[in-house]
Parts: sequence; C-alpha cells; structure tokens
Amino acid sequence: MAIVIWIPLILPLVLGVVSGLRQRSAWTLWLPVASAAVLLGAGVVLILDVSDRGPITTADGLLRVDSLSAWMLAVVGVVAVVALWGGVPHRTDRSRNIGRFAGLLCLFLAAMSLAVAADNIGLMWVAIELTTITTAFLVGSRGGRGALEAAWKYVILGSAGVAIAFLGIVLIFAASRTGGAPSLSWVVLLAHAGSLDPTLTRAGAALAVLGFATKAGLAPMHSWLPDAHSQAPATVSGLMSGVLLSVAFYAILRIQAVADAAIGPALMRELLLAAGLLSLAVTAGLAITQKDFKRLLAYSSIEHMGLLALGAAAGGPLAIAAVLLHILGHGLVKSSMFVLSGRILGFTGSHDIADVRNLLRRRPDLGGPFLLGAAALLGFPPFVTFFTEVAIIVAGFQRGLGWQMMVACILLVVVFAGIARHVLAMTVGTDPDPEVARTLPAPPDKPARFRQVPIGIALGLCAVVGFAAWPLAGPLVAAVAALGGGR
Amino acid sequence: MSNGVYLQLLATTTGVLLLSAVLQVWGRSTVRAIGLLVLQGTALAGLVLTVGVHAGEAAAPLVAGLVLVVKALVMPWAMLRSARVIGVTRERSARVKPAIELIGAAALTLLAYAVSGPILGDRTDPATQAVPVGVSLVLLGFWQLLVRGSAITELIGFLMLDNGIATISFLTSGGLSLVVELGATLDVLLVVLILGVLAVRLHAEQGHIDISELRELHD
Amino acid sequence: MTIGAVTVIVIHLVLAVLLSPVLIGVMRTTRARLEGRVGGGIRQPWRDLRKLLAKQPTRAPGSTPVLTLAPILLMASSLVLCALIPFVSTVALTSVPGDLFVVVGVLLLGTVALALLGLESGTAFGGMGSSRHMVIAALVEPTVLLSIYALSVPAGTSALAAIVRARLADPASLLNPASLLAIFALVVVVIAETGRLPVDNPSTHLELTMIHEAMILESGGRDLGWLELGSWLRLTALLGLVANLALPWGIAQDAAPLGLLVGVAAITGKLLLLGAALAAVEVFIAKLRLFRVPELLAGSFVLAFLSVSASYLVF
Repeated sequence: MAIVIWIPLILPLVLGVVSGLRQRSAWTLWLPVASAAVLLGAGVVLILDVSDRGPITTADGLLRVDSLSAWMLAVVGVVAVVALWGGVPHRTDRSRNIGRFAGLLCLFLAAMSLAVAADNIGLMWVAIELTTITTAFLVGSRGGRGALEAAWKYVILGSAGVAIAFLGIVLIFAASRTGGAPSLSWVVLLAHAGSLDPTLTRAGAALAVLGFATKAGLAPMHSWLPDAHSQAPATVSGLMSGVLLSVAFYAILRIQAVADAAIGPALMRELLLAAGLLSLAVTAGLAITQKDFKRLLAYSSIEHMGLLALGAAAGGPLAIAAVLLHILGHGLVKSSMFVLSGRILGFTGSHDIADVRNLLRRRPDLGGPFLLGAAALLGFPPFVTFFTEVAIIVAGFQRGLGWQMMVACILLVVVFAGIARHVLAMTVGTDPDPEVARTLPAPPDKPARFRQVPIGIALGLCAVVGFAAWPLAGPLVAAVAALGGGR
Repeated sequence: MSNGVYLQLLATTTGVLLLSAVLQVWGRSTVRAIGLLVLQGTALAGLVLTVGVHAGEAAAPLVAGLVLVVKALVMPWAMLRSARVIGVTRERSARVKPAIELIGAAALTLLAYAVSGPILGDRTDPATQAVPVGVSLVLLGFWQLLVRGSAITELIGFLMLDNGIATISFLTSGGLSLVVELGATLDVLLVVLILGVLAVRLHAEQGHIDISELRELHD
Repeated sequence: MTIGAVTVIVIHLVLAVLLSPVLIGVMRTTRARLEGRVGGGIRQPWRDLRKLLAKQPTRAPGSTPVLTLAPILLMASSLVLCALIPFVSTVALTSVPGDLFVVVGVLLLGTVALALLGLESGTAFGGMGSSRHMVIAALVEPTVLLSIYALSVPAGTSALAAIVRARLADPASLLNPASLLAIFALVVVVIAETGRLPVDNPSTHLELTMIHEAMILESGGRDLGWLELGSWLRLTALLGLVANLALPWGIAQDAAPLGLLVGVAAITGKLLLLGAALAAVEVFIAKLRLFRVPELLAGSFVLAFLSVSASYLVF
C-alpha cells in the first residue's frame, strides 16, 4: 500500500508541471481541483488501510502514514477541494497567467501532502517551508502596493519563524544524540523519549513550537496573517486559512507529543495556553473595529487557531479528538467563507464592510451562505464547530484549566459580538442608498449552480457531521491514539 | 586530522563567523554586507568540513561544497543582482540610531553566551563550546531583521539567521541527515530568490525599498 | 637578565628611531605610487627631519613654556612607549613592567601634550584641533584598554611581553573569536589614534577636516621636528604592537644575539608590510565626516567589549 503514499506526492507535482507548461490553457485551472481530489481520495484510502493494517512506512523510513497523517491528508484534501472548486474564476475574468497560478497551487498541495506524510520532522519542516515558497507569489499575485507589502511581510515573517522552528529541530536532534540514538524520525524520538537530553529537548521543543506557531498564525506572531489573507486572491486565502494553518498546527501537535513524552506536559501546556488565550484576546480586541471583511475572516482564523491551541494545551482524548474535528469543521467553513468573500468582492468591488449592505436581499446566492457560514464560524449549533468548541472547553475544565477556560469563554463572547455585528450589518443591514434598496435582487454569477455546489457541500457537511459522526469516530479515535493517546 | 589542527580550524572558522556578523551589524553599506556574507558562507563551509572530517564522515566534503556553493556564491550573487537592479548600495534609513544598534548587538551576543551555557549543560567537547557563536549569529540576524529599514538588509539579516542555525546544527550534532540538509538548503535558497524578486518588484512599484514605509496594511 | 632586558630596550629605542622615518617614507611612497605620483622617496622623511632639527624654532611672543615642553614631552612619551612595547624580544625589565595600563597611560600623556600645544598656540585652528583630538582620544583609550585586556585574559597577565609570549606559545588562540574581535578593534583604534584615514587625513591642511595638523600648525623648526618624530614613533610603536599581537612569529624569547637579529629583521619586515598595506588601503577610502567618527569608534568599542566577554565565557 506504500504506493498510495506516493500518489498525493507525485501526482500534484506532475499536474503542477503540466499546468506550468500549458500556461494559456483555461483547463489548467481544473488541475488543482483534481490534485485536491487526489489528496482526498488518497486520504480516505489511507484511513481505511491504516485502520486495518497499522501505519505504513516507506522511503527508508522518511515517510510514514499513521492514522493521524491519513486524517490530516483527508482533511487537507476535502478543504482544498472546496476552496479550489469554489474559487475557479468565471471564464470572463481570467487573467493570462492562469497556468502558473494553477501550477503553484498544485505544488502547494504536494508540499502539504509531504508535510503530513513525513515521519522525519526535518523533512516535515522542509515541506512546511516549501509551502511558504509556493504561496509567496500567490499572495502577491494581484500586484499593487498592498499585495506586494503583504507578500513581503508574509515571506519574511513566515520564513524567519519557520527558521526558528528549524533551530528547535536542530536542538531536538542534538538532544537525541545525547540519548544515544541520533534521529529525527518522529517514531524513534517518541520511542526513545525517555533518553532525550531534557534541557536540550526543552529548548528545542519550545523553539519548534514557537516557530510553527508563527506559521499557524497564533498570537503574538500573527501579524502577517491578516495582511496576507486580505491581499491574496480568495482561493489562496481559503487554502491558507483552511489548510496551511491547520498543517502548521499539525506540526505543533507532533512536536508536542515528543516533548510531552520526554519532559512532561507542563512546558507545552503553558506555551500553548499563552498563545491560545493571546490569540483569542487579539481577535477580541481587533475584530470589532475591522473595516475590511477579508481581514475580519483572517482574524476569525486567528481565533480558531487559538481555540485549537487551547485544546492541545488541555490534552486528553476528548480535547485532541475535538481539535482534529475542529480542524475539519473550521477548514470547510473558512474556505467557503473566503470563496464567498472573493465573490462579494467581485460584486461590490470593495473590501470595505461599510460598502456591503443588505446582501441577503441584493444577492441572496451570496448573502445566504455567508450568513450560514458566519454562524458556523461563531459556533452556532447544529454546525460541528459548536460541538468541538464545547468539547474543547469542557475538556479544559476537566483537565484543571478552570480559570483559563473562563477567560477563553469571556473572550469568545467578545469575539462573537464583534464578528456578529459586522456580518449582520453586511447581510441584513439597511442599505445606505435607498435607491439601490428598491431595485430587484441582482442576478447570481454565472455559472451559478455549479459554483454553489462546493459551498453547499461544505456547509452541509459541517452541519451534519456534528450529529452523524459515526463514520468519523473510528478514524478520529485512531488518530488520537496515534498521537500517543492524547495523554 | 590531529586534535591541535582541529581546534585551530574550529576556532578560526567560528571566529570569522562572529566577526563577520558583528561587522554586518556595524556597517551601512549593502555591497559590503553582501561581501561579508560571502566570507560568512566560506567560514561556514570551512566549519562543516572541519567538523565532518574530524568525525570521519564520508559525505563531509560534499556537504561543505554544497554549503560553499549555495551560501558563499549563489545567494550573495542573487542578492547582489537584486541590489544592482534596484541600484541601492547604501542603507538610507534605520529604525534606531547606530549606537543603539551596536549596543543592542553587544547585549545580544552576551545573551547568546549566557543562554548557551545552561542549555548545553556540562558538555565539554570543543565544538559544543563554540555554539554561542551560532546563537549570536541567530540573535544578531533577528536584530538586523528588527531594526533595519531596507528590504535588502532584512534579507541579509535573514541569511545571517540561517547561517547561525546551520552553525549550531553542525557544532552540536555534525549536521542533520543529508536529505534534510539538502531540502533545507534548497528551501532557503528559494526563499532568498523569491525575496530578491519581491524586493525588485517593491522597488518598481513604489520607487524605494524602505520597509518602514510599508504602511498600506494596518489595523 | 637585567642586562639582557636593558640591551633589548636599547635595541628597541635605536630601532624605533631609525625605523620610524623609513616606515613613514614607505607609507608615503606607496601612496604616491598608487596615486600615480613619483613621491619624495623613502628617505624624504629623514631629510625633512634633519632639516627641521637644525633650525631654530620661532615662537609667538607671550607664549608660555608649554610650547617648549610639549614637543619634548611627546617625544619622551613616545620613546618610553617604544621601550615598553615588545618589538624584538619578549624579555622585559622586571622593575618597569611593560604593563597594558602603563602603556595606555603613557599614550595618553603624549596625547595631552599635543592637545596642550594646540591650545597654547593661540590660533583658532589649534584649539579646534585640540578639541577634536581629545574627543577622539576619549573614545579611543577605553577601546585600546579593552581590546588588549581581552587578549590578556587567556595569558593571565596584563604585561604586554607576557601576552605576546603566551600567544606565541599557543597559536590556536590567534584566530579564535575573542582574539579576532580584539585585533580588529585594535586596528580601528590604532588608525584613529595615529590620525590616519578615515579618521584624520595626515596630508591635509584643509581647515575643516584637519585634526593632527591643526595642532602643530604654529610650530616650526626644532619643535616641529620633535613633534613629527614623536608622532611617527607613536605610529611605529602602535603598529608594532598590533603586528606582534596579531602575528607574534619571529619575536625573540631571550636576549641571545641571533634571536635578537631575527627579531629585528622580523619586526622590520612586519612593520614595513603593515605600513604599506595601510597606505594602500588609505588610497581607496575617503575621510569620514567628523560626526560619524564616534560611530566608528563606538563600533570598535563594542567589538572590544564583545571580545572581552567572549574571552571570559569561552576559550
């Protein structure tokens, strides 16, 4: 079955090269969607296979897919399908270098698969750094001052942060050398966790988590995130928010497992708690004053990353399972929201919240899903995010993080108020111009149905999964177990 | 390699690394800073070779050659090219005064020496003793990233940071596995190329590469 | 041992007095050749000196004896410096230690003498030169102290001869981080202290830029001769110190004739090469604005400071 691991690595690469070669052809835009579908398929196959026969190792131990990797691969696949399919631009507004754009997207997906399939944490680092490289031009692809500025900040902060993670990995390797088994293999590290040099592991794990937290958009290293997400094309924003941040967080989970086994959970718990609460606080402070709806969504991503960090800090099977499910739920909703925001941008021609009013009436095909998606982001039932957020908070209380969870709840309420205010103003707020308000609803984009499909699937999935989670229960439990039982 | 020669080479290469880092913080000329980067890359390659040959690794000359080509030739060349295209040879604006920058650099180097001791514990082999130099490079690189105003100097700071991490990696453990090392080098090379292109595009867009003037996006 | 030490000191003095005009001549000629001029020749400083020393000095009416004393003081301090710094051999008098702090003190004595002379001359230029000179001296002296102190830490003593001996015995210490930083800092401050480019242009008489020349502008005849020779000796002494700290090979460890002969040849070679290199570099650099000079010196101070801390913490 080792061949299944190679498919999501090689095929997107090939498709990327193809679309790079056929720059002018419009059909290249569908190649990233195909790549994402390949990822999803491979992820599902691997989930089934791993649950039957245990982890698969290949390439001399460099690549290893356990149930957590398979879960992440499937999540990356499904979120990417939503973001890419929903984001395929209409024939009329396609730019000339679509081939290069599509090629970079395919390479990005290949790098993501490598990051989740790598057993060697050094290789995982290489893959995550590769995602910075592939997205750099995507963020700046719109051109103009703002996009270039965002791209510059993104690459500088992203690569400097990830460099710190590399320093951490170097120290972890040194720690394993002291223990007598020099290795960067995650499995070997976990197996020999007892013999790792504690001081070096402490420093290394802290630096690695700090570095990957930069990439995951956790405060206080989040400053690139709103800029990059607001300036990138909608598809890229959706992919970054739903996939890139999640994979960076996956790296944190892997490092945390090793560190917890080697030096006890105290250090990681404190770091993640601090980052999580700070992320919530940053969003609480800044969401209410946002003027740009894409930035608002970006801050919402910071908030959800903060929640994930709190869940990881709490630890335990419940919290980790909730975190993994939340990654799925948030990814689905956020990627559809970014796709929708891109289309709203196309409709109104402005990033400003103030320019978007009464969307539910003027463009029901955009306003309806936007309102529903925002409800999912804010954690309304029946969406799965409701259940996962509750589970994370409950798990936190169970693990003795009482006051931290209280603070988190208060901050969540503030965030709720801030985001809800803006979203309501955008969707049902009265139009400042009464003339426009009287006109009939504008016709939906063409081809309307087809582009609504992925968003409908994403929101529907998100609403259903909370109740009908039985197909996911097995993989989730297995993924939690792969992470060392979630201690 | 005899122990004496090993020690001498270790001391020399780490010495050149630290000196070039401090000089980079000190100087204002972009071209000279890129020249110092060449020196730094060469010293790093020498360090890789020294540590590798001493440990008896067969791949050491290969890795050292790779480091030399990438860090001492290709990256500085790419940066020099960007700098030439932009036409900026001197830094115009800095966010802090030169004196404060230097004092900060001194404090950071002291900090590097102070924190490396406890982390490394009581290990006494000479390579580990030189780790503070790598930590200094990392901290000074960050300092450059923080206080410098020009895109090219930020890039130089990033490379110094990367050289510091490579120094630590080779001093503590003789480098990671070849695959990871190759991947990491390639990644950093690509990042440098991308940042070089972005700097040129920034210059084309707004006529300068002043990072502190980038205020389009804010909350 | 005492006899040996005295012999060494005498050799130092004779060598310094004979060598310093040649050094200046080599530097000037190098510079002239690189700039495409013929130049005055290597022996020109000698001829200038002989001419000046033969002439009666003219002093302004009403001037104090400082004008007479300062050149002598500068000359004397420079000679003491040359006697104390290990040029040829590391043998030193036990009663008069070639101690780092003594050397810096003597250096400062000469600096103060020059500054007083500038103030006493009564013209605006002299005072201006003196004030600039003191600014630079105030920044230079701590760095000299610190950088040599960094080198003295591994040797465990602040006596210059012992430091050179220790560095000769342990060549691995020559290129370690602390030593490299210290030597670099020392080179910068020696350039500043001896009034070379980019801090001061020794060949300018432009009122806005000159420092050293402004102070000795009013002196003439014998006074000027002693002042010139004193400054040249300072340059020789400091360059010799840098040369022997950075590359201690060739210096004698005792007072045996053969060793001394090798030592003389070695230091002559090192000094002339260093001087030529310095002059060659000077061709390519411009003078710094006076306001930027403190920045340069602060930088070298930081280097020296780092080197002290590095030499304590590691190696």
